Amino acid sequence: MSAAVLTMLSRPEAEDLLFREARALDERRFADWLAMFTEDVLFWMPAWRDETRPTSDPDTELSLIYYEGRANLEDRVWRMGSGLSNASAIPARVSHLVGNVIVEPGEAGAAIVLSAFTAHHHDPRTDRSHVFFGHYRHVFRPDGDGRWLIAAKTITLMNDCIPTVADLYML
Amino acid sequence: MPSLSALIDNRPDEGIFRINRSLFDDPAIFELEMRHIFEGGWLFLGLESQAPGPHDYFTVNIGRVPALVMRDGDGVLRGFVNSCPHKGARIAPASCGHARQLICPYHSWSFDSAGRNRAIKWKQGGAYTEAFDADSHDLQPLPGFGVYRGFVFGSASADVPPLLDYLGETTKLLDLVADQSEEGVELVPGGVTFTYEGNWKLQLENCSDNYHFTSAHPSYIRLLERRKAAEVASGKSFTSSMESQRHWSGEDDEIVAGTYSFPFGHVLNFGIGAPTPASPLYDRADSLAQRLGTAKRDWIFNMRNLTIFPNLQVAENASSQLRVIEPISASRTRMRTWCIGPKGEGAAARRQRIRQYEDFFNPSGMATPDDTVAYEDCQRGFAGKVQPWLQGYARGMAMRRPGGNDLADRIDLKPDWSIAGNSRLCDETIYQSYYREWARRMAGVLAA
Repeated sequence: MSAAVLTMLSRPEAEDLLFREARALDERRFADWLAMFTEDVLFWMPAWRDETRPTSDPDTELSLIYYEGRANLEDRVWRMGSGLSNASAIPARVSHLVGNVIVEPGEAGAAIVLSAFTAHHHDPRTDRSHVFFGHYRHVFRPDGDGRWLIAAKTITLMNDCIPTVADLYML
Repeated sequence: MPSLSALIDNRPDEGIFRINRSLFDDPAIFELEMRHIFEGGWLFLGLESQAPGPHDYFTVNIGRVPALVMRDGDGVLRGFVNSCPHKGARIAPASCGHARQLICPYHSWSFDSAGRNRAIKWKQGGAYTEAFDADSHDLQPLPGFGVYRGFVFGSASADVPPLLDYLGETTKLLDLVADQSEEGVELVPGGVTFTYEGNWKLQLENCSDNYHFTSAHPSYIRLLERRKAAEVASGKSFTSSMESQRHWSGEDDEIVAGTYSFPFGHVLNFGIGAPTPASPLYDRADSLAQRLGTAKRDWIFNMRNLTIFPNLQVAENASSQLRVIEPISASRTRMRTWCIGPKGEGAAARRQRIRQYEDFFNPSGMATPDDTVAYEDCQRGFAGKVQPWLQGYARGMAMRRPGGNDLADRIDLKPDWSIAGNSRLCDETIYQSYYREWARRMAGVLAA
């Protein structure tokens, strides 16, 4: 089993992981979604410096979202279901599409998976629909039990003028 | 059009101040606001640090007027209408850049970084008249332009008071931002823009609103508590400088918060704070006191939300945010937002500032969406004009007093009106200042 883990993540396997992650968000199965990440995951959505360049250094430049550690994602999931967030009270209905998947070797047996996404969402509160789109960059790391976990996820959001709300499940 | 008194019911002697819902959703009123407020007076344009060197520029909107702020080869900063005198195209379509010469993308008329026309393509052979030659072909300078401590202001109308008169006492509050470093203030690279389906004045009021914090942001408050516990375990989560502040708790009976109102619609709401390790400025607490005195230092560590009417808000609470309000229509607003910090800030402090900012202020964070969604519910609710008068301007009316108070005296601040009280006071008379200025701008436009 461990020999199989050390082989390169195949594209069908990578697609399966991405599709399952997207589906978990669409279906609001957030516990399943959180279980796909390593505890030390780096979750990052850069902001844009100007028309053409996203920010690249989270320590000196602003990001739209930047978290080190799954605990922060757990906070966000907690907030969505807390009953204490006006913006989360009536959630948007979301449908992700992920494609154009490319797998590249990463360091220490990890796999870098590049993809394109669209995330359509409809807000029943206001009867408005919108689509966020951009690129994902996932780093998958084998956990030793034959599973690949997300050790890093970068979302490059192309349409970064945000209509009111952009919560994690909408991206 | 309705009369002013049909929109703003201001009867201080009777203890009444009410706003008509139409002020927030009538397209005809919005048109007047664009002409007489956003295009008829001073607006904040940006920070000088956005055009740091010779030939650097950035572009902004003054209401609907596209504007260009540009530094020439000698370092002089000027403001122009960002539109070619030839056919009207924007000379600089990008948000910022560097150019010794700006060339119109449409017919190649060119301008230097002082706005002077350098060439008209094929001028000779163009069969122009003498009258054309006698006309200026330079970029149109903004009728009003000025800089205070790195804060750049402009006006599309010449009929404005001098900038320093307009800012008045609030220069002392801008000083509290600029003085955090001997080198001044800068934008953290990376801007965030969002829109909401609501009137621009909802944002104007929310920044000054101490009353909403525990109602709109309980999830954020509880998360601070969760993180405090998790921090001990993992060391990976982060604390917030909001934790130590008591002005929003609803529990303190001593004076912990208040508001100041100034001429021309500028206001400050504040909460008493103190240096804590979670504050990005914590390491500077002693040096700030040495350089500025303890009174100014203490004020720097207070929660401060400053509005320079009508479009600039500097919020220093969980982190430091600079907001520019851009109305799009009566029921749609665009917010351009940045994290600001003192130049030369240490790496760890800057990182802490940025992390707290993202969590609290971003539309992808955990506080701002709870505000903007509420704005949209207000906007929908404004359609209910069976009873047109809003009751959200009354808290504090029985306590408001002319002039300043002890806290203001400590930094020689002289507001027109002030209130200070416990954490449950949550003054709403602060918004009245916005509407007194609104009424001043509309005098002669709308019947009394």
